[in-house]
Amino acid sequence: MGKPEVWAKHICSAHDLKCRVNAVLSFYASPSLGDFTPSVLSVSESAQLSVAGQRYLPRDRESFLDAQQRNRRATWRISVLCVVAAVVMGIPLALIITPLLYAVVLISADVINYFSPLPQEFWQIAAEFARFGKVGLTWILQPKTAADPQALAIGLAVMLLPGIVLSIALWLSIDVLFRRSGVGGALLALNAREPNQNQLKELQLVDVVQEMAIAAGITSPRVMLIDSAGANAAAIGSSATDARIVVSRRLLDDLSRDELEGILAHLIGSIGNGDLRIAFRITAVFETCGLLVAIVNSPFGPRSRGVLWRIIRYGFVSGGAKEAAAVADLLARNVGLDTDDIDQFFDSGKRSRIRSIRNFIFFPIFFTNMAMKLCLWFFSTAVLGPSVALLWRTRQYLADASAVQLTRNPDGLASALQKLNEEPGDIPGGDWASHLFVVSPKRSDHQISAVPDKGHQQLLAKAWATASGQDSMQPAAMDFRTAQVQLASTFRAAMAGDAQAVARLRAAYQAVAASDPGLAAQIPNPDDFFGARQGDAAAIARLRSVRGVARDTSARQKVEAESSMSSVSMLGFHPSVKRRLKRLARMGAHVDFAAQKSRAWIVVLVLSIILSPLFLLLIALFLFLIAIMTMASVAFLVIWLTVIHNVFMLVGHH
Amino acid sequence: MQISPAVIIIVVSVALLIWIIASFNGLVALRNRVRNAWAEIDVQLKRRHDLIPNLVETVRGYMQHERSVFENVTQARAQAIAAGGDVLQRSAAESMLTATLGRLFATVENYPQLRAVENVQILQEQLTSTENRIAFARQFYNDEVMKYNTRQSTFPRNVFAGLLGFSPAAMFTALDEDRANVQVKV
Repeated sequence: MGKPEVWAKHICSAHDLKCRVNAVLSFYASPSLGDFTPSVLSVSESAQLSVAGQRYLPRDRESFLDAQQRNRRATWRISVLCVVAAVVMGIPLALIITPLLYAVVLISADVINYFSPLPQEFWQIAAEFARFGKVGLTWILQPKTAADPQALAIGLAVMLLPGIVLSIALWLSIDVLFRRSGVGGALLALNAREPNQNQLKELQLVDVVQEMAIAAGITSPRVMLIDSAGANAAAIGSSATDARIVVSRRLLDDLSRDELEGILAHLIGSIGNGDLRIAFRITAVFETCGLLVAIVNSPFGPRSRGVLWRIIRYGFVSGGAKEAAAVADLLARNVGLDTDDIDQFFDSGKRSRIRSIRNFIFFPIFFTNMAMKLCLWFFSTAVLGPSVALLWRTRQYLADASAVQLTRNPDGLASALQKLNEEPGDIPGGDWASHLFVVSPKRSDHQISAVPDKGHQQLLAKAWATASGQDSMQPAAMDFRTAQVQLASTFRAAMAGDAQAVARLRAAYQAVAASDPGLAAQIPNPDDFFGARQGDAAAIARLRSVRGVARDTSARQKVEAESSMSSVSMLGFHPSVKRRLKRLARMGAHVDFAAQKSRAWIVVLVLSIILSPLFLLLIALFLFLIAIMTMASVAFLVIWLTVIHNVFMLVGHH
Repeated sequence: MQISPAVIIIVVSVALLIWIIASFNGLVALRNRVRNAWAEIDVQLKRRHDLIPNLVETVRGYMQHERSVFENVTQARAQAIAAGGDVLQRSAAESMLTATLGRLFATVENYPQLRAVENVQILQEQLTSTENRIAFARQFYNDEVMKYNTRQSTFPRNVFAGLLGFSPAAMFTALDEDRANVQVKV
């Protein structure tokens, strides 16, 4: 190893310069890496974005270093928010935990007292604690009478502290618990596979991941592929050390090397920035919320008890990565106003005397339960979810800026984002991690993403096998997934004008139509696509109707698949692609915004002016409802405390 | 309550000491990162040497008439390996290797049937990737050097960084004539 400066002077050849060294020095000018790529490999799809001549001209812009710093500053807020969330979630929990704790302490003290008398001071302190309940009650019932502020503060602390401590403890233990199990279960859920390094595109993927890891100076994460119809990619894991990168095969097919580099630089930049740890902590907060709902529901129904039992068993036995993913999913799903168990509890068909007495006894608990769940639900969807989502967006911007730092080529990421924006991005099994993907996976309103049922899948696969001439050998070998992948690539070839591909598509469609006309109505006729391209109005209308049918089917499936991260927040976890492009443009990308100009914002403005008072009114009503519920629960709580206090007084006088 | 000046002085000096220790450790960590980044470049250069024989073997059969191109590549590789530890010789040899590889790729472009062979494509991809890795390793090196130097030369630390034995690391710089070439291209 020699002295760096001597090396540096001599090792740079003309070619390297052309590549990047100059760019490194100036930090702004960013020659593309693709310069070295022989034209065999460069698919030259990215050319549409940039005019070759003016590609590297400096603009009025922000350095990616500044952009990173700006977005990084927002990070600590996420941690603060998580802690605050844990604290706030403890407040409704206190409604149940505090009296329970108090009762347990008193009863056990009583038992101990029976054998060896406790000092008088203990009973005095206990009585003092109970008195705070009374102070609270008088204050609530008669707000005019000025309560002693110190007594009130101590009273509140006595009431709330056990719940807060418990919820923070639950949050931390969930964090530790799921961190332990790693990402294996998530990969199983996504149906991910290892890339095949004998295949050009997949080898390229592995290479680009390693290149970006070198550029970021981190150990290269393992990369896995998903054969899905959506084009998307994600970095998953609980920390930088066990991170995996998951890429859908379609994304690989559709992007050029430069664009792929941009996307992977975004992911690896986000790993390097420590996003996975943050994401994990956020998920743990939502899972804690789900766990609290399960705890609150547990007296009423078997379902919540099942969830609780599963997580306890998982905590002690550790059933492996798959079980971890299942439990985490169960908890995340639990957030929300799930009243199944309670409905069952109160409305079961049999009406006997015992049952009605039981219902009468349980009714106050039910009331507390509802108040708690309402608080938790409102807090997680209207307060925690949106604020976490907004903060998470700054992490996305940060990762974009890091991607520019790693590639020194903002155009690659910009054009990749534009492309992905126009394609379906949903990954089956990826709902729970939607915030970890490069672009939002939920954009199903303008795409055909319906997955046909098993019988239709076989039929489609068979038809495709027949059409592509593989049928004569082994018809069973073709499964739906590979058929789907092949179909997608053939379709792209056909649209590019490959006559052979067109013929294959036609044959496949005819095979489907021959065996099942009903199914054929659900998939678009390839001839219509070509007609539509020539401007045939009838063909376009036919395509629209087919898409409508498919959308109905997919909408029905969407309702069933509704879960976790995307449903906990009203706001998306991803900034809009347009905004990301704008920021990339500030960092030097050449994005043409002229074509995207639209009048939509006026409609949005008018709608928001009309809707926002209604929305505020709704929120106010909701807060009012929660306040009433909480008041009622506090009243119950105080009654409980008073009862316990009096029991204790009786015991104490013995 | 009365706080004696002695206590204040002790507290301040302990805080200062802790701060100096922390910044010293931070600088050491950064310096190690810079060294590591430097070593990474070597690793990638080695990888390129290992890949070349494969490429030559695969392509040779298709391109009987281009013997000189192969010989150049093989020779340049041998020279780069033989250069060993000597920095000046080795960096010149690596530059030569890069240039001959570029010529080889340019020649491959002239053989359409060769471009279609998947083996060749895969090898080409591997070499492209290696070139990129070398470039990225250098970029990372420069990034780290920038952080290290900035940390050293910002105000309170620049007072004692030199005393503790830290000196600014050098970045990769380009040869003047090479830079001139690029300017023409832009």
